Amino acid sequence: MTRRVIFPLILFVVMVLSGVALELLPQQLLMGTYMIVPHWLFIMLIYIAIFYDRNDTYYAVLYALIFGLLFDIVYTGILGVYMFSYALVIYIVRGLKKMLQGNFYVLLILSAFGIALADLSVYTVFTVIGLADMPIEVYLLNRLVPTILLNLLFLVLIYPLIIKPIRKWGRELT
Amino acid sequence: MNFFRSKKLFIILIGFIVLVVLIGYSLNNRGHLNVGEKIVSDAVGWVQNVAQAPVTFVTDIASNISDFKTTYEENQVLREQLSQQKSVAYDLQNLEEENEELRSMIDMTETARDYEPIYATVIARSPEQWVNQVTINRGENDGVQENMVVRTAEGMIGKVLHTSGGTATVQLLTGFDEFNRVSATVLREDDSDIFGMIEGFDEETEMLLFRIIEESDTDIEEGDTVYSSELGGEFPAGITIGEVNEVVADQYGLTRIAMVEPAADLFDIRNVIVVNRSIDQPEDDVEEGDDES
Repeated sequence: MTRRVIFPLILFVVMVLSGVALELLPQQLLMGTYMIVPHWLFIMLIYIAIFYDRNDTYYAVLYALIFGLLFDIVYTGILGVYMFSYALVIYIVRGLKKMLQGNFYVLLILSAFGIALADLSVYTVFTVIGLADMPIEVYLLNRLVPTILLNLLFLVLIYPLIIKPIRKWGRELT
Repeated sequence: MNFFRSKKLFIILIGFIVLVVLIGYSLNNRGHLNVGEKIVSDAVGWVQNVAQAPVTFVTDIASNISDFKTTYEENQVLREQLSQQKSVAYDLQNLEEENEELRSMIDMTETARDYEPIYATVIARSPEQWVNQVTINRGENDGVQENMVVRTAEGMIGKVLHTSGGTATVQLLTGFDEFNRVSATVLREDDSDIFGMIEGFDEETEMLLFRIIEESDTDIEEGDTVYSSELGGEFPAGITIGEVNEVVADQYGLTRIAMVEPAADLFDIRNVIVVNRSIDQPEDDVEEGDDES
């Protein structure tokens, strides 16, 4: 029962915190040429997809839809972009995870791949509707690479905190 | 198996259609939130208000420490400036009184310069940086409305994009484009003020693009200060926007564009003032200028 409440709660808090995350980063990072986007919500979803979901459950995708929509409402005002990107990428990650074992290195690789795909998908949509105008090579170098690296850092930092409970809940699910 | 595959494809296709519909819907209604969005914004805003307190505490300590290092030098400079300020303040008071007298003579009580401030704090910044938005902790209940100017002590930072009950979303100057413009002006001695629009932000140089209207294209120079103009119909006049850094021709060579360095720091924003123009909006007649949509 608590499981049903605790994931939405954690995801909600993470989503809210990512709004103040930029204030915590040093100013030089924000002002400089590199842009960093905290995809913390997405990282939590990846944890859920890899360590919690069984082969026949779709919690991660469901949460991606709900909280992606919330993210859209609160932070961009353009509905559907994050909802669609997150849900699609989490679905792909879920498919890949079936072929691999759920351990730390798989988590790292899948997350790097997922963050890249999700951010690229958002970039594509925003470019198509004309909100973003950034040449692709500038985007890849100044935005995508630092974003992946810093989000992976976040992922590694929370790993010791989150891995035990989430594995436990995952076993309870079966 | 074949059926199953096509079902997956089917779902993804439907998802894609939903995405396009949603984007189309929200692009059409940019600036107006529906009831659901308002409720979500309010709820999240409330939590952000709570979460923001400890974060501000930590960042304040950090900035205090770095402030200490420069305090002495700043003090020296400020003291010098203060002595000059006194005489300026005296002049200003004289002029203001005179201005008021003259105005009462011709029965003009309100000008587009007057405004009512609403003080607010930034509670969140959009973590994804394609849309340059911040959320502030004042909303409709406090009198904030769409299209109001938001400024800091240094100068203009943006305008209110949409509001919910207790929060409002501010579009920063860095996110301005053809659809979000501000009419601006450079003051000149005689009647040859320069008019134009702030209509974009150059990411590379971090400058605002100030497109100068042809008729007033006279002699803009580096170092000129650009102010907001009342001609847009919605903003109060006289809010500092920035300083002209360079003048270039636009991509078609028809008009000139001044690169304007924003006066306010657009990256480190804490406390802002939402500016409500006290003079009534002009009716839909002659004065209809460019209506920010």
